[in-house]
Amino acid sequence: MNPVNTTLLILLLPLFSATVIALGLRRQGAWAAGLATAVAGAIAILSWQLIFSGQRNFPAAWEWLRLGDFVVSLGFKFDDLAALMLFVVSFVGFLIHIFSLGYMRADAARARFFGGLSIFMFSMLGIVLADNLFMIFIFWELVGFSSYLLIGHWHERTAAAEAAKKAFIVNRVGDFGFLLGIIMCYWSNGTVNLTALGAQHVPSTLIALLLFCGAAGKSAQLPLQVWLPDAMEGPTPVSALIHAATMVAAGIYLLCRINVLMVPDALTVIMWIGTLTALYAALCAVVQRDIKKVLAYSTLSQLGYMVAAFGLGSLTLRHEMGGVVHEMVVATGVGAAMFHLTTHAFFKALLFLGSGSVIHGCHHEQNIFKMGGLRAKMPLTFITFTLGVLAIIGMPGLAGFFSKDAILYLALEKNTAVFAVLVFTAVLTSFYMIRLWKLTFWGAARSDHAAQAHESGFTMTLPLVVLAVLSIIGGYAGFFSRLAGAVADLVPEATGAAHSTILLVSLGVMLTGASGAWLFYASAETDSLEGKFRLGFRGLTGLKESFDRLYTYYVAKVQQRLAMLLNFIEQIFLAGLLIRGLGGVVTLIGYGARSLYTGSLHTYVYWFLWGTALLWAFAVGIF
Amino acid sequence: MIVDLQHYLLLSAVLFVLGFFGVLLRKNTLVIYMCLELMLIAATIALVAFSHFNDTLDGNVFVFFILTIAAAEVAVGLAIVVALFRQRGTVQVEALNHLRH
Amino acid sequence: MANFLFYFFALLALVSAALVVVSKNPVNAALGLLLSLVGVAGLFVLLHAALLAFVLLLVYAGAVVALFLFIIMLLDTRPEQSKPLPRMTLIAATLGGALLVVGVLSLNQRAALSAGGAAVTGPTLKHYAEQLFTTYLLPVQLVGFLLLIAMLGVIVLSKKSDQAEERS
Repeated sequence: MNPVNTTLLILLLPLFSATVIALGLRRQGAWAAGLATAVAGAIAILSWQLIFSGQRNFPAAWEWLRLGDFVVSLGFKFDDLAALMLFVVSFVGFLIHIFSLGYMRADAARARFFGGLSIFMFSMLGIVLADNLFMIFIFWELVGFSSYLLIGHWHERTAAAEAAKKAFIVNRVGDFGFLLGIIMCYWSNGTVNLTALGAQHVPSTLIALLLFCGAAGKSAQLPLQVWLPDAMEGPTPVSALIHAATMVAAGIYLLCRINVLMVPDALTVIMWIGTLTALYAALCAVVQRDIKKVLAYSTLSQLGYMVAAFGLGSLTLRHEMGGVVHEMVVATGVGAAMFHLTTHAFFKALLFLGSGSVIHGCHHEQNIFKMGGLRAKMPLTFITFTLGVLAIIGMPGLAGFFSKDAILYLALEKNTAVFAVLVFTAVLTSFYMIRLWKLTFWGAARSDHAAQAHESGFTMTLPLVVLAVLSIIGGYAGFFSRLAGAVADLVPEATGAAHSTILLVSLGVMLTGASGAWLFYASAETDSLEGKFRLGFRGLTGLKESFDRLYTYYVAKVQQRLAMLLNFIEQIFLAGLLIRGLGGVVTLIGYGARSLYTGSLHTYVYWFLWGTALLWAFAVGIF
Repeated sequence: MIVDLQHYLLLSAVLFVLGFFGVLLRKNTLVIYMCLELMLIAATIALVAFSHFNDTLDGNVFVFFILTIAAAEVAVGLAIVVALFRQRGTVQVEALNHLRH
Repeated sequence: MANFLFYFFALLALVSAALVVVSKNPVNAALGLLLSLVGVAGLFVLLHAALLAFVLLLVYAGAVVALFLFIIMLLDTRPEQSKPLPRMTLIAATLGGALLVVGVLSLNQRAALSAGGAAVTGPTLKHYAEQLFTTYLLPVQLVGFLLLIAMLGVIVLSKKSDQAEERS
């Protein structure tokens, strides 16, 4: 089948599934689940075929809307970057569909859930395959909508509804900047087609930063990161799919797509925002009690890593070939970010699904201080979860090690301050992940739910196993280069002295953080940190609240007051003076006209007389 | 003094004004009507005077029409007055103020 | 002689008109109208429009005034009570009247009106007929229609609503 048709099929199958579920299968949860999963499987197979057929950059564009000179077209840009992202989205998506079969079996609104998943797949694939910024924006908004649907799946709970609203609104703020950036890009360059922009464009810091706003909203960077922790109100498969592996990665993907538009000043800003986000999130994660919240902050932190990597930008590599020194500028920022995105998708999805399995086993208990001793009760989950934890903290040999090293090497080469912060963040990462691991699986069971936990069913453990395998092999050059093609060439590889430095640093980081957490935290009902460093603990918890409090203050005080002022002005001038005033004038005229009807014949005759006099005067020429 | 067009016109004007006063000042509908007829007559005098002093026939012929129309108007008007009287029991103009706001 | 007759008939017309306007009894007013018509007929004769004078007397004095008297008798109106006229009315009326007089007279100060048609002195019935059936044919037809409509209107207006009376 020709590649354009395959791509179209990949894009439209989930839309078809969503439509069928929405129109016909509202009550039939099992059928909806089956259909959505089958479609996800079909997408995975088709994507596999498309990626490994080697066809790239085939022409596929259709004109959609034309207003004079302005044209909005829809099309596909299938280069190596898109192929890599397509693999991640379709494969991880399929595994999560399978997981949801088991996890959501007892849910009453199962059909709505799977319909939402299908719509999400459609929107995400649209972003992956799009060839121009307008099309990306359309699917961007659709992804935001799917996220809203799925976060608020259990909408009867106020917290879930509020979280969905918050996610959507914060995303919207970022999208506003994104839209401004697109418009400015169109205005400066006359086109928003990515290939055309790659060929020729006008460099502009403002456009780059505005487009970054969209990425900041979607990938939850400072200051728009407030929605991601709250989004954990959604079911765990949603957290795994959307808020770990794919949707939040869309921001990174967008940045890589518009890499051609970046200028050094914008990259510096992006780098620092990413770094600070990574640090901030890691600090917040240390004091969380909910297993999913820890993973959410971990996601935030890793996203910060990716954004920082992108911001670190390109390296000039020198090759010596046959006595001649070649210098090449390689877009290492893109390479490092995409590498980490891929490995992160694998192990974060694994961690989330594992936590889902844990939550399901403990009958929806999410507080890690009420867990414990699950190592014996849920062995398969324990093993796969451990592999995920090791991957994220950078155990040599696993996927996370390679991708994190690439980023650290890039930071070492380009900006030592960022390197220092990222290293410290890595320490924190090991610290809180081992804390989570220990408190959840080790020690004695600290509640009845944990004591009676049981291993999850086949549909839930199979994806865990597959993802664990991917977490192991995902980082190796052989696997990744076959998958990513040209993108793999962009990944920075340390050589010589730098190589040893990075290796030692990452080992040291991992061991420091891990041992610190293992020794520090006792298997108890309360947080040991809270007991020993009360002030520090309170400071760290306050760190999370601060942004929320700031935004609430702004909305409640500033925005409300402005709205009240505008309302006042509107009431007085528009409603009062103009509208009611006009009405009043017309009423007065009406009163005046009405008073002519006296009912007295003599009065009317007088009016005749005066009218005649006037006409006569006019005829004579007085006026 | 030779009686000129001016005299006839002055007469016509005064008759007209007298009729007008009647319309303004009387309260009986029928009398108002009669004053209206006076005004018509004044107009006919003027017409005939003009046609006489300009040696044409147009004014005279026009008087025919005025007479016809006056007759028709009187018939219809009086029929209305009679119908009103049946409703109101009076022909005083002040009582006929039902179209007041 | 002609002057004297003019003044006589003019005075008759004016005094009778004043009588119409002033008298309290509507029957007196009707008779005043009659006298005024007689005066005007005389003026017509002075203006060499004898046919018109007779037509005036026949139609106006004979039919219209008679009709007025019938209706006055039918409606059995009482003589008006004389209420003192409000001052405003008198002022406004005087002003209006003065305006009218000035207006009518000023017409004659303008350029002389053009004399149209053939010059005829001492018109006879034949002349009238000529005009009526050639130049003024359309107005004649229209006036005929007008009379028809007036007649119909009067019949409808003066009909007592029999159905309403049968039911009540």
